[in-house]
Amino acid sequence: MQSLVPEPIEILSGVEDGEAARHFRFRFCGQSDSNLKKWQSTRPGQFFMLSVPGAGEAPFTFTTLPNAQGEFSALVRRMGQVTGALFERKPGYTLGARGPFGHGWPVTDGDTEKVLTEKALIVGGGCGLAPLVSLVEHLINSGTPPVALVYGARTAAAQVLNPERKRWQSQLPLFDIVQQGNGCQYRGTPLDLLPEVLNQVGEPERVFLCGPEIMMHTVAEFFVQRGLPASAIWMSIERRMHCATGTCGHCYLEHQYVCKDGPTYRWDKLAPLLARSSGAGALADFHC
Amino acid sequence: MTDYLIDSPITLAKHIGQSRDLWQLKENDSGERGWQLSAPEIFSALRSPDAMESAKQFFFAPRENIFQFDGNQFRESLPAPEPFALVGVSSCDLTAIAYQDHFFRDDPHYQARRQQALLVGYECLSPCAKGFCPSVDAGPGAREGSADLVLHQLQEDQWLLRVLTDTGARALEGLVLEKAGDAAQTQRHNQIEACIEAFPDDSHIHAGIEAINSNSVAQETWDAAGIQCLSCSGCTTLCPTCSCYGTSDHTTGDTMIRERFWDSCLYDGFQREASQNNPAGAAGDRVRRFWYHKFSREFFQASDNPGPADRYGCVGCGRCEVTCPGVIGVHSMMKKITE
Ligand SMILES: Cc1cc2nc3c(=O)[nH]c(=O)nc-3n(C[C@H](O)[C@H](O)[C@H](O)COP(=O)(O)OP(=O)(O)OC[C@H]3O[C@@H](n4cnc5c(N)ncnc54)[C@H](O)[C@@H]3O)c2cc1C
Ligand code: SF4
Ligand code: SF4
Ligand code: FES
Repeated sequence: MQSLVPEPIEILSGVEDGEAARHFRFRFCGQSDSNLKKWQSTRPGQFFMLSVPGAGEAPFTFTTLPNAQGEFSALVRRMGQVTGALFERKPGYTLGARGPFGHGWPVTDGDTEKVLTEKALIVGGGCGLAPLVSLVEHLINSGTPPVALVYGARTAAAQVLNPERKRWQSQLPLFDIVQQGNGCQYRGTPLDLLPEVLNQVGEPERVFLCGPEIMMHTVAEFFVQRGLPASAIWMSIERRMHCATGTCGHCYLEHQYVCKDGPTYRWDKLAPLLARSSGAGALADFHC
Repeated sequence: MTDYLIDSPITLAKHIGQSRDLWQLKENDSGERGWQLSAPEIFSALRSPDAMESAKQFFFAPRENIFQFDGNQFRESLPAPEPFALVGVSSCDLTAIAYQDHFFRDDPHYQARRQQALLVGYECLSPCAKGFCPSVDAGPGAREGSADLVLHQLQEDQWLLRVLTDTGARALEGLVLEKAGDAAQTQRHNQIEACIEAFPDDSHIHAGIEAINSNSVAQETWDAAGIQCLSCSGCTTLCPTCSCYGTSDHTTGDTMIRERFWDSCLYDGFQREASQNNPAGAAGDRVRRFWYHKFSREFFQASDNPGPADRYGCVGCGRCEVTCPGVIGVHSMMKKITE
């Protein structure tokens, strides 16, 4: 049975990190060992449903996966009802979590559990960097850091995960770009910067994307044009979610449910699904 | 399993009613047919199950509490209904229940209700107004395993009572009945064949299914239907296989509850995200996805061992056409996309 009932967690801390974004640390309250084991099996790119009692429930990705003490983190951008209420809650407050859900990034060979060592290039946009954090850390810790991380944001003030990006500076080539204003070496979108990045680091063998959907589509097509197989391009997509168990219907994508079949997709599998609808439903530009 | 002959569904109801709440389709004061609690003493003669209300609310509740939160702990609010029987469920609705049983197989709320139910089917002898169950393999004969017991009228005072599950067999314990012979089975077979023969032409349904599966419907056709659809949720509410829901929190005093309630994929805001991004912002896309969910074979599990999910999401009850003639109803829509 898949319960819609959350498990209690408490807020340990919340640190401002970008415009209207806060990096939260949570801890499970009084969990049994077997339950903690379930949470510790979380893979990079999986997500959980966060309940703020009274306000509702919404999906968030783990920036750090649950550890042996049952602590984990998530970067949250203040958007509406649930996130608005979360920002009002103080450390010590009890919230709820369900999960872990979805398919994460393909960081190991499914058959052998061997860490994949292809040259990985990562492109994040706005808060879309959040699901990539645990992937970057995983690749660094496995001794095969990404060949480059390109991070685009609307403005320098909107950039998130500042401490993490600072730390990564000594560990991998980082390229930050903003659409408007100063405070950053490059101006434009990640797509504008990619030719120069590839000049410096060479062609990747695998690409991981997360950000506004339109950005992910154009970047994926850019790499396909350059000869990278669509099957080497992965992205994590967002859909409205109310259950994460594949029953409420909200996250549908044709015959799939993003909460179960995604949120990470291989481009050769995803593109044909997206092509079927008219595309008239707007795909947001950077919302953060 | 042994099948029996019985003089009247009322005899069966009186027996089952000793250990379960009985529900049957009846007219209410304003003349609408719907499911009503019907004690054995007032259980009335069964007639064709043709009704706008399907049985889905018995298992997938229109509105229900998921849990309570007291500030520290989350406590699941599981339903605990007394054992009950639905007597006189049409074959199309039985097929829909089997389909939802699979879809909600891991849903504790659905299953808590479902496990308390005894399903007694009723096989239609003539087509209902807008139904096309034979076209989508859902009736008029009850599908194997879709009910516990099935009633099929042979004469004014003689019915064939088929036993499809162990639960059905157990429900008959203590009732002395004559075993049904070959003649009764043959008569049933012939009556079902005659009923199938009596259905009107369904070529537009088959053509529509193929058009949807070959992805050959022009976007303009969906867009035109999208403009006409009022997003009233009439069809999704009545459709026995529609299963979408939303959730919302309510607080009274120190206690908070989370509810879930029937939602509709045809609502403009169904997929709208906090950023205002709306992948299904175009009404035509929502109408397309609705019909795709009913008729695309991509939803089939495609397993070696076909189960209740390896079928179309539509059971041919025709309710959407009755409630939305000319626009999004199944006959109108299938004709439009194959014109
Ligand atoms: C797999 C996944 C991972 C995500 N990870 C993060 C993250 O790490 N950090 C972050 O800031 N945001 C993340 N999001 C987006 C985040 O879920 C939304 O910003 C959030 O739901 C907004 O909720 P709200 O109640 O504040 O907004 P409201 O507009 O008030 O939303 C009401 C309800 O609609 C649903 N909803 C609205 N927008 C979305 C959306 N974009 N995605 C899913 N459900 C939505 C939720 O159920 C929400 O409770 C993620 C989304 C998905 C699908
Ligand atoms: S669709 Fe078939 S089974 Fe359903 S009520 Fe009509 S005739 Fe009976
Ligand atoms: S789509 Fe229409 S005909 Fe098919 S099951 Fe639903 S209401 Fe009945
Ligand atoms: S979130 Fe409910 S089906 Fe995916």
